[in-house]
Amino acid sequence: MSYVTVLDFAAGGLLLCSVLLVWRRDLTAMVRWLSAQGVAVGAIPVSLALHRDDRALLAVGIGVLVFRAVVLPRVLARVLRGEPEPREAQPLVNTSASLLAVAVLTLLADAVSQPIVRLDPTPATQAVPLAVAVVLTGVFMLVTRRRALSQVVGFVMLDNGIAAAAFLTTAGVPLIVEFGASIDVLLAVLVLQILTARMRVKFGGTDVDELRELRD
Amino acid sequence: MSATLLLLAPLVAPTLAAVAIVLVGWRRSTAIASVTSCGVVLAAGATLAATTHTSNVVLGLVLRADTLTAVMLIVIGAVGVVAIWASVAYLDAELLHGHTTRPRARQYGALVNVFIATMALAVLADNLGVMWIAIEATTVTTAFLVGHRRTRRSLEATWKYVVICSVGIALAFLGTVLLYFASQHAGQGAGALDIDALAARAAHLDPGVTRLAAVLLLLGYGTKVGLAPFHTWLADAHSEAPAPVSALMSGVLLAVAFSAILRVKSVVDVALGPAFLRGGLLILGLLTLLVAASLLLVQRDYKRLLAYSSLEHMGLVAVAAAAGTKLAIAALLLHVLGHGLGKSVLFVAAGHLQLTHQSTAIADVRGVVARNPLLGATLAAGFVALLGLPPFALFASEVAIARGAANAGLAWPLGVALVLALVAFGALVHHGSAMLLGPPTGDAPELVLSLPAAAPMIAGLAGCLLLGIVAAPLTHTLLAAAANVMASR
Amino acid sequence: MTAVMGAAGVVVQVAAIATGAPVLVGVMRQVRARLEGRRGPGIAQPWREMRKLFGKESIRPEGTTLVFALAPAVLAGSALVASTLIPVATTGSPLDSVGDLFAVIGLLLLGSVALALAGLDTGTAFGGMGASRAMTIGALVEPSALLAVFAVSIPAHSSNLGAIVTAVASHPARSATPAAALACAAMAIVVIAESGRLPVDNPATHLEVTMVHEAMTLEYAGPQLGLLEWAASIRLTLLLALLANLFLPFGIATAHAGLAGLGLGLVAIAAKVVVLASLLAGAEVFLAKLRLFRVPELLAGSFLIGLLAVVVSSFLTATTK
Repeated sequence: MSYVTVLDFAAGGLLLCSVLLVWRRDLTAMVRWLSAQGVAVGAIPVSLALHRDDRALLAVGIGVLVFRAVVLPRVLARVLRGEPEPREAQPLVNTSASLLAVAVLTLLADAVSQPIVRLDPTPATQAVPLAVAVVLTGVFMLVTRRRALSQVVGFVMLDNGIAAAAFLTTAGVPLIVEFGASIDVLLAVLVLQILTARMRVKFGGTDVDELRELRD
Repeated sequence: MSATLLLLAPLVAPTLAAVAIVLVGWRRSTAIASVTSCGVVLAAGATLAATTHTSNVVLGLVLRADTLTAVMLIVIGAVGVVAIWASVAYLDAELLHGHTTRPRARQYGALVNVFIATMALAVLADNLGVMWIAIEATTVTTAFLVGHRRTRRSLEATWKYVVICSVGIALAFLGTVLLYFASQHAGQGAGALDIDALAARAAHLDPGVTRLAAVLLLLGYGTKVGLAPFHTWLADAHSEAPAPVSALMSGVLLAVAFSAILRVKSVVDVALGPAFLRGGLLILGLLTLLVAASLLLVQRDYKRLLAYSSLEHMGLVAVAAAAGTKLAIAALLLHVLGHGLGKSVLFVAAGHLQLTHQSTAIADVRGVVARNPLLGATLAAGFVALLGLPPFALFASEVAIARGAANAGLAWPLGVALVLALVAFGALVHHGSAMLLGPPTGDAPELVLSLPAAAPMIAGLAGCLLLGIVAAPLTHTLLAAAANVMASR
Repeated sequence: MTAVMGAAGVVVQVAAIATGAPVLVGVMRQVRARLEGRRGPGIAQPWREMRKLFGKESIRPEGTTLVFALAPAVLAGSALVASTLIPVATTGSPLDSVGDLFAVIGLLLLGSVALALAGLDTGTAFGGMGASRAMTIGALVEPSALLAVFAVSIPAHSSNLGAIVTAVASHPARSATPAAALACAAMAIVVIAESGRLPVDNPATHLEVTMVHEAMTLEYAGPQLGLLEWAASIRLTLLLALLANLFLPFGIATAHAGLAGLGLGLVAIAAKVVVLASLLAGAEVFLAKLRLFRVPELLAGSFLIGLLAVVVSSFLTATTK
């Protein structure tokens, strides 16, 4: 099993997980698919490291794997624990239209990422359009969902896509930056978790549509 | 040795103050320590301004200071001093009226100091990656500061702020990654994100990838600056936060985020030519001015009024950056400093009004000058400063921006920008005079402002006035900082 | 000689499908029965039912026109013609040049449309309901079907089904790529929707309100009903064979194979189709029918997966060469 096959399957799995995250409306299932996506993201640096025999990258890859497949979903699951109705209400864009939008976004990502592939046509960079598609899907999910937790899932998906793009283009950014970026993402998710808990107390639910007192 | 001290002091001082507050709580002593730490930041910035004229100051691989850094540190320090000084009176009043508790005041104090430290790190960063980390850290730090009052509205504001800014920052990270990718292909591997190394390789960066990176970085950091169409969080966050925090966010954080855009600009302009970012900044700047001017006209809440005024000034700053001449960028930096001081004074005064009236509606506040001449005069002076009237600093900077834009051939966009700024001017005068002048209503609560509470505001106004009158010594520094942004051609 | 062998191959293929299709349906029912704890009627039951139906009197409801009378013939005819075009047991058919993806999809669609028109022709509420449901599902399924096969045709550089299958047969590693996996997933959903199995449509239901395919055939009786059942079983067999051969075409007879090769091809496809059918029947035991308004979601998902297969295969073609 060459590293190219693993890389291709990881990138494909990444995209497939984002499709399933948009498709499913059950919040607990979404957290599980997010964990699967984390595995796909972690597989990319690990396979690159094994191919290049790079110990530092391998350590970073395992760290990323643990962080995105275990730690982040666990934080999100903690948010879900107090949730009486773990299902997304009717989203702003219905499921069929969302899936078609994801198709359009994938094509857009392909068009936009051409300069990146052209600069360095290796098997790794050829999967970058898929990572960019995941980023766009994450933004789409953030914009069209009503439940606070779905928006957080969209944000984590966005970040997964960016991390995958980082590893596919340059085998990561300098270690300190990767470390700092992970800490920042973790803190952001923790902040969002605390805010969701407070929202449940103050607003009696986590429907973001309830937040409409501030306006001009 | 002195280089280490100069570069580490702005980071270490606020951190130590934060640690002290966590251990001891928010007391007179720790409050003074916090104000002093901002003074340290200011002093470090001033010293660096003198030292970096000849060469940059570098510490190891993580910290670096050029004249732009020095100017930004001055902004952070000056506004920080005013804001944290005002926090003393603010928190005292809140504790007195039972709107907050001692543990929350402790959390506030610690977070504010960490906020100052992260902003200092953002301008002292040696490479774009560390700069990104620092700016993302500011979002996380200010999240709970915005939500300090624990009301429904502040929770809503915090949610919007964190979500929108985190998405923007994430996109900026993707842009940073792509820039790293391009940089690695243009030169040797290590240190590819270092500002100096990037500047050296800028001419060899692949245009396609750099264009993509530039768009992402502009949009990402632009979200943090509040440029339209990603401005929706700004009015909510800046109006719901406690007044000193609003002062810091409006006065400094927006400027620090814009300095990140300036750093990116110095690299991208060499790689792609100045036209690319000029167009982008111009579009975003004019759009921001349009949004701000229209929303200022219909405002009914004075804190949101001040927030939209910040938006307007950031739009003007973006137009100045689009012009890109040395004069324009130097004027931009002066504008940022003057705006920081003026806006912080206004927000602090607004905080006093909010404490007394328990409401932020313009209609509820009438005849401030008649009720309390000190507060009225400070508020009026702050408005005059903000409106860009002489002799305050903003007059000089706005004139210089106009000249710079005209020199750069942006006559038409400049015209549009001035018209919109005039509309904003009119709106501010209308709302400001409605609040300040005229007789007070019969049931107006008593406005109390002690001299210690008024001191930070007077200090801020004095600073703004000083800058306006005595700008000459600073000109040399500002032009040197502008040269940093223009980088090597 | 090859042309004669080719023609013989086609004839043998059609005959095998025509006789084996009802047996396949019988196998599916038997697997399902055993899993549900029943003894089951035996795999020859559909043939026994057809024998009974062909012996009955042909009835035509009052008010129906030629459309109603011809629909079973059109359905069965199009299914048989499609069975000559799809490379089931051999890729050496003389009709290979006509065996284009679009032709096959078009033929299957022709049959569906004929049946839908017949359902409308009866003038009953259930006939019209079944027809509209079937057409909705059909309209949504066609793009997915085209995309899924298109994704597999990109490496083969041709939309001719025979050429695609030959290309996949000569480069088996191509089936182990993400693009092929996605295309297979999309194709599986297409097969389920086109043949009217759970979770899109329940073939064993007797509640008219839940029917899609059966609602259109409610008014048929006797030989015409037998013809319809037979045609439906042929379509199911063809779709399963297409699914099997597009991704796992080992054993298929090529243009130059002799009688032995043809025999091997028949055995191989029979085995693959039986395995697929048993898997499908087994899965059906655990699935419930989707509510009709959720079916477009499923089909949109299959469309998206097919599109992703096309996109992924065009990105990663350099590595799958």
